[in-house]
Formats: sequence, structure tokens, C-alpha cells
Amino acid sequence: MAQDPTVPKLNFEYWLDKAIEWGQATTLESQKDVCLHLSQLQEFLHQLYEAIKHLQGPTVVIQQFPLIGQLLGRLCWNPFVIGYDESQKTLMWCLCCLYSSEPQNAVELKANSWVRSLLCHLLSSSKWESNEAETSAFISALGYTSADYYCHLVKNMVVSLVRELRENQFNGLNIQESISASRVNAVSIFCVPLITLPDLAPLLETLLLYHGGSSKEILSSEFLESVNEAFLKKKISLPESVVFSLWLRHLPSLEKATLHLLDQVLSIQLNSLEEVACVIKDSLLPQAASHPAIFRIINEIFKSALMETDGTSEVLTVIQVFTQLFLQDHQNENKQHKFPLKAYFPYHHQPLVRRLVRRPFELPTTYWSEHVKHISDMVKALVEDTNASSLTDLFEIWFLVACFGEWLDIAAEQLLKAAVEPDPVLWLLAFYYCPKNENQQRTQTVVEAQAVYSHLMMLFNCADLSLKDLEAAVHRVMGTEQCCNQQFTTHLLTNFLLFSPGGHKIAQECIYHITEITDTSKEVHNLLIRTAHRFNHSGEENQRTVKLLNELLQKLTLKV
Amino acid sequence: MDAVLRQVEQLPALLAVSRSAQVRDWDCLTLDRALEWARYFQHLHHRFRARPQLREALGRRLRRSQPLPLLGFPALGRCPQLLGLALLENRALPPAACRCLLRGLLPPPGEGSGCDPRGLALLARRKAAARLLALVPGPEGQLQAEARLLLGRLREEGQEAAEAAGQLPWLRAALEQLPQPRACGVVAAALALLPQGCGTEQAGDTDRAAGSSQGGYQAGAAGDGCAAGLLLSWLLGDQERFSAFCLCLPSSQLAFLAGHYSQLSRSYLDLLTSWGSRLVYDPLQGRWVKSCLDKAELSWEELRERFICLCQGPALLREQTQAALELLRTRDGDFKVRGLSVWTDLLMEVGY
Repeated sequence: MAQDPTVPKLNFEYWLDKAIEWGQATTLESQKDVCLHLSQLQEFLHQLYEAIKHLQGPTVVIQQFPLIGQLLGRLCWNPFVIGYDESQKTLMWCLCCLYSSEPQNAVELKANSWVRSLLCHLLSSSKWESNEAETSAFISALGYTSADYYCHLVKNMVVSLVRELRENQFNGLNIQESISASRVNAVSIFCVPLITLPDLAPLLETLLLYHGGSSKEILSSEFLESVNEAFLKKKISLPESVVFSLWLRHLPSLEKATLHLLDQVLSIQLNSLEEVACVIKDSLLPQAASHPAIFRIINEIFKSALMETDGTSEVLTVIQVFTQLFLQDHQNENKQHKFPLKAYFPYHHQPLVRRLVRRPFELPTTYWSEHVKHISDMVKALVEDTNASSLTDLFEIWFLVACFGEWLDIAAEQLLKAAVEPDPVLWLLAFYYCPKNENQQRTQTVVEAQAVYSHLMMLFNCADLSLKDLEAAVHRVMGTEQCCNQQFTTHLLTNFLLFSPGGHKIAQECIYHITEITDTSKEVHNLLIRTAHRFNHSGEENQRTVKLLNELLQKLTLKV
Repeated sequence: MDAVLRQVEQLPALLAVSRSAQVRDWDCLTLDRALEWARYFQHLHHRFRARPQLREALGRRLRRSQPLPLLGFPALGRCPQLLGLALLENRALPPAACRCLLRGLLPPPGEGSGCDPRGLALLARRKAAARLLALVPGPEGQLQAEARLLLGRLREEGQEAAEAAGQLPWLRAALEQLPQPRACGVVAAALALLPQGCGTEQAGDTDRAAGSSQGGYQAGAAGDGCAAGLLLSWLLGDQERFSAFCLCLPSSQLAFLAGHYSQLSRSYLDLLTSWGSRLVYDPLQGRWVKSCLDKAELSWEELRERFICLCQGPALLREQTQAALELLRTRDGDFKVRGLSVWTDLLMEVGY
């Protein structure tokens, strides 16, 4: 039910009908329906309160909303509504608006009495509930209030439910189950409004870790969705094992969590890879991905996101950082039952996987170029194998390589910093930027790249460079139609500016020039962030390079 | 300090007035003043709760100003809620004052400090939560909650007042608010909770500051003994009440309690003995029957079940029961044949 925010008219009749339909929410269908509408109802109540709070006196309120008494009265008897989030507060405020300090007529007198009865019903002992009177007299005689009583009552009920669920867990092998699946399902529905109530935390955790005998999911989907929502919005915090259990048993929650992460990272301007890593780590997704099923599903979602955004560099960065964090977590685990790599990358060439998974800092830097060459050779072999080059296979190989973008960045760096055989490296980078080759695009890219590279290497040791010297390269960036070439060339050019002695002086000017004219400022920014992150961790010796990098980042951050 | 003590004496009167028809004459100003007093008392509670001597002094003065010592030092901490809810329920409060009260209890957003200063939204939410969780049929959460509050109160008393004498009438008055079966259930639940060592928790103390709970733990064990003593005196002090207690509770629960409280096991055995002696053997039906059809006694089957439960208890209890039965059998003539002495038959049933 969409509420149009620009139109102040409230859909009063709709909610009154709903309230009548729900009654006191005693049937399963009404309970499920209430759960589905809880947040919209809260929003409506808030709007209602805003509409009536400035009205002078209850008579005016009743003139505007003649049926308000019916609506509020019925909602007060629905424990799902009262138990939810902040609905009880808003409802009580609305009730107070119907109370007048100087009742002028019979209607207002009656309204006063009715408001007080309802508030007593909500807060202490209700004249409509016969069994509350005795308890409330006893509590008063002890010098306590209903606040103390209900605090204890809820805690006790939670404790006994938790105990019942846990005992049943250990009796899992008994044929005679002490709790039926429908009972657990019912408990999960009744908990939906109460998810953000701190007293319920032990029960939530026990439910999420509960596995009955059947293979079907016994917790209600409304419950699982609501817990996930509350967790993603940081309204509740749950232990890791509980979150993993939730995602393992409810696929939509995992999907939502992954999409939520992507939204988060893409919507805020993040200025360092550390920030990105922080956000991703907080989401608990890399940790959850130690379950191969979760890992594979997250990757599928990432693949779709890449397709939809046409491979934008921000999504790629998220994927790369996620993979790094996942690997860190996986390698640090001391569990005896660590899954082998094959479980996470089942359909890929395992030797390639093993190579990609090696973190750069695990190898001495002198060995890096050889490592990159091996990777390039393997990928080339896989890609050019005519038996296995359907478009999907190609995409899968490309995606695998893209996940481990660190090696690609190192490869590009090695081109300029070390004495390497350029062809395999150029081929690998060309494959990354231009994987398809139906019309020989990739082959063309390699050729172009070789030309740019030769040109840059010629200028590498020149002390005194001017923008004009780089013109040829810059023109390739701007003039080319193929965007993959543009990105590739920009990458080479940026690295050149960072790592060549003569490039420092013209770096700012050159990058400014490029990003002004083309649409590559985001990619350049991204590249610089990744490079900064690597410098922080591996330690770049050349202080001038580091300084230049930071300056460029600052300038670019302001612009982007 | 003297001034503070005199002020504290006013609390019971304030609460009494707030529940009476005298509020008829209250206006907004009077109400605000009353709520101010409540906040002041709460402030006193916060200031002095970590200072045992001052606590005691305030507690003593408070107790002396009431006919029945209902309120102790911790009540000062609960004052705003006590007052607020009492006034809310009091129909005599005129509309103008009531409106002020509502604004004070449930400040709308923007006004007042914090979103839920009196914790009333949380209360409403918890009450709804209790109704929701009660939709799943399960063990009586209500009895447990009432028992915990009772224990909490007893413990507070145990810490504050050295004189246990003054406590029994208060306890009696409180338990009279409940119908007898329920009161028995609550006392049974409370007695059952005590041996499980819930002494670390101070029930009902709305602010569990480190100071108060640490102080509470020391007195916990002693307080527990005191609480148990009080509950048992209430229970065993009245024979009719005790026999009603033993009739309405299930035998397993009674056996559990008897296993933990020796006074209880003795009285229980005595009671069972008196019931058992009133059974007569009907040779035509071949079994033991009640001599008069008085509901307030046990039948043979129920008696047997009780003794079986007792014999399934801890070793001490078992021995005690067995010894008692054997003594009775001997008194009756030490027969080993059925149908002559109810005690012989019972001993055979429980397997001795």
C-alpha cells in the first residue's frame, strides 16, 4: 500500500477496514497480515498524529476524523500493533490528543473517560481484563508497579521458551518430538513485532539456531525477513553465528544483505580502500562466506551487479576487497574443518585458482613478475582452448581474474618498475579490459597497448618531460572509441606518471587534462586509491611517489 | 540530613493521597508539585543507594511512617512510576490535572527530555509482548513473575530491617490480595526459586547500579534464608492454609519443596499422617476409603501418590519418610498383611 507523500490525505478508511479485519489478531492469517503491514501502519499513525496534534480540542479532531475513536480503540487491542517498534508511543500520543483539559460537552467527557480506560489497559491494569485485577492488587501491595511486573514476566517467558527450544534441540533424535513444527512456527510469528525489544534477544538467537527434524524451513518467512531488515538497519545486533545461520536458511535475506552492501558502498564517497574494507567487514558477509554455499551465492549476485552496471569500477573494487577479506578470514581460520579451495571455486581450473589466491606479500617481490607470467599463460591457455570458450565460460574466467584484481594492478606496475617480458603482462591486462574477441577487439587492444607501452618506455628515463611528449599517448586515451582501450591506456599512463622520474612534474597537469576531457575520473580515482592501499601495506620505497600519490588523491577527491 | 528524613516520611502519605479521592481538588500546579516530589525522592535514592548507613537511616524512617511497612528505601527509586501510574488509575483526578499528567508521562517528540523518560512506552510494549508470548501455550509465566517480585521484596526487607517481627503482617496483607489457590502457587514458586540461587538478582530494583547489586549479593544468602523463613512461617502458621496448600499443589512440586525445607517436610508428613489416619478400610470394596466425604482430605490413591513422590526425593527425605511410615506401622501393631493398617499398605506400595 503506497502512501503518496505529497498528498496529505490519509487513507483512513483503508486502515480502519484493516483494523476491523484483524480484530485482536487471533487467527493465523490475521496475524501474518498484521506482520506484513506493521511498518506501514506505524508510518500512518505517525502521519495521523502530525495531522491532529495541533488541532484545538478533541471535538475538532473528531470532526475531521469521525472514526478515529474506532480505529485507535481497535488497534489498542491488537498486541501485534502495540508490541511493534514505536507504534505504541505514537498511538498513545494520538490518544492524548483526544483528551481535553476542560470538557465542554458530553462527547468530550466520554472521550476523556475512554482515553483513560485505554491508557490503563495499555499501561497498568485493565478493567476489561478480569484476571489482571488480582495480580495488580498483589503487585501494589508489594510496592511495585506494573512496569516491574511486566519486565519480569517477559523475561521469564523468554527464558522458558528458550529452555524449551534448547532442550528439544538435544533431543533431536527422539522420535517423539516435544515441540511440533507448527508451535515453533507460531512462536516465530509472534516474535515479529518484538524483534527490536531487547528482552527478546535470547529468544531470537535460539530460534535462528533452531533446527527441527524436518528439512523444510519451520520459521516463518515474515520473521526471517524482519530479523534481516532489523539487522541491516542496525536496529539490533546479533552474534556472527546467528547471522550466518539466518543467511544459510533464508536465501532472500542473504541476497538483501549483499545488495544492501553494494548500495552502501556505491552511495557514499569513500576515500580510501581501508574505508571500503571497513564497511564490507562490518556487513559480516566476508566472514559468512566461509560457508561455500554463501560464497557462491554472493558471487552470483556480484556477477549480476556487474552486468547491470556494465562493469563499473566501483563494483569491481567492492568485489576485489570482498575477496581479499574473505581470503584473509579463510586463511586465519584454525578450524579443523576448513573447506578446501575447490569448494569455493568448483568450476574453475584449480592450478589457476591456487596461483590467484596467493597474496602478493606471501611472495618475495622479485618473484612477482614470474608469478604474473604464469597466471597470464594459464589464462591464455584456458581462453584460447576452442573446446571451452563459450561466452559464459569466458565470462567465468574473466570474473575469476577480476576478483583478484590485486595481481592485475601489480602486473601493470611491474611493466614500468621491473624488467619484465611485456607481452604476457600486456596480454593479461588486455584480457581484463577487453575479454571478448569475436571481432578481434582484444587482439587489437593488445596491439594498441604494445604501441603505447613502447612509447612510454622510450620516455621513461627522460628527466624533463612536457605534456607534449605524452601527447601521442594522451590522444589515444581521448580519441579512441573503444572504451576498454581508454581504460587500459589511462591505467598505463597513470602508472607512468607515478613511477617514472620525469613524470612527477607533469603528473597533476596531465591527469587533470585527461579527467577533464574524458569520463575517466572515477576510474583514475579508484586506481589511485587501490595503489595507495598497496603502498600502505607493502611499503613503497620511493617517498616522492608516495607524496605525489597523496597529492593527486586529494585533488581528485575534491573534484569527484 | 534531618530535613531529608522528615521529607522522606511524606512519601507514604503522598502515595496514599494520590490513590484517594482527595485528588479531586488538584490542579495542574499541585500535580506538577507532586511529580516534582516524586523526582526528588528518586534523586535521593540515586544519591544514597551506595551509602549503606544513610540508606538504612532513610529506610528506617520510611518504615516507621507507615502502619504496614509496605515501602522501603528502594521504593524511593520507583517513585515517579508509582505516583504516575497511581494517578493515572485514579478516576477522581480532574481533567485539567490529568492532561498535565499525560503530558508529563508521555512527552510528545520535541518536548521534554528523551523519548521515554518514564519508560511507559517500554511498559506498554512489554505488556503486549507478554500477551503475544502467552499465545503459545506454555508454563505459567505469571506465577513465576509474581514469585520473583515477592522474593525481591522479601530480600529488600531482609536487607533493610533487622526486625523480622514486623514483616509477617505485611506479608499476610499482600498475599491476601490473591485468591488462595493462587497465593499458594506463588509461595510455592518462590520457595522453589530460592534454592536455585537466584540471590544475585534484585527483583524490581529499577536501576541496577553496580553499587546496589554488589551490596545485594552479600546479603543475598542471608536474605534468602530470611525470606524462606518468612514464607514458611506464613505457610505453616495457619493449619487450614497449610492443608489447602498441600491439597492444591501437585505432589511432585510438594516433594521438591519438602526435600529442600526440613520444617516443611516435617509438617507435611504430619499432615499426611492425620489424613491417612482418617481413612478406613472397606472390606466389601477391598480398599481404603475416606471416612467422610470431606473434600478437604486425600483419598487413598492421592495419599499413595504423595508418598511415592516423597520417596523419589533426595536421600534424607526418603529416609525420613520411610522412618515415619515404619514408626506408624509399628504403632498400629506392625502388621505385614494388607487391609489392617493403612501404613502397612502404604509401605508395601512404596516398595519397602
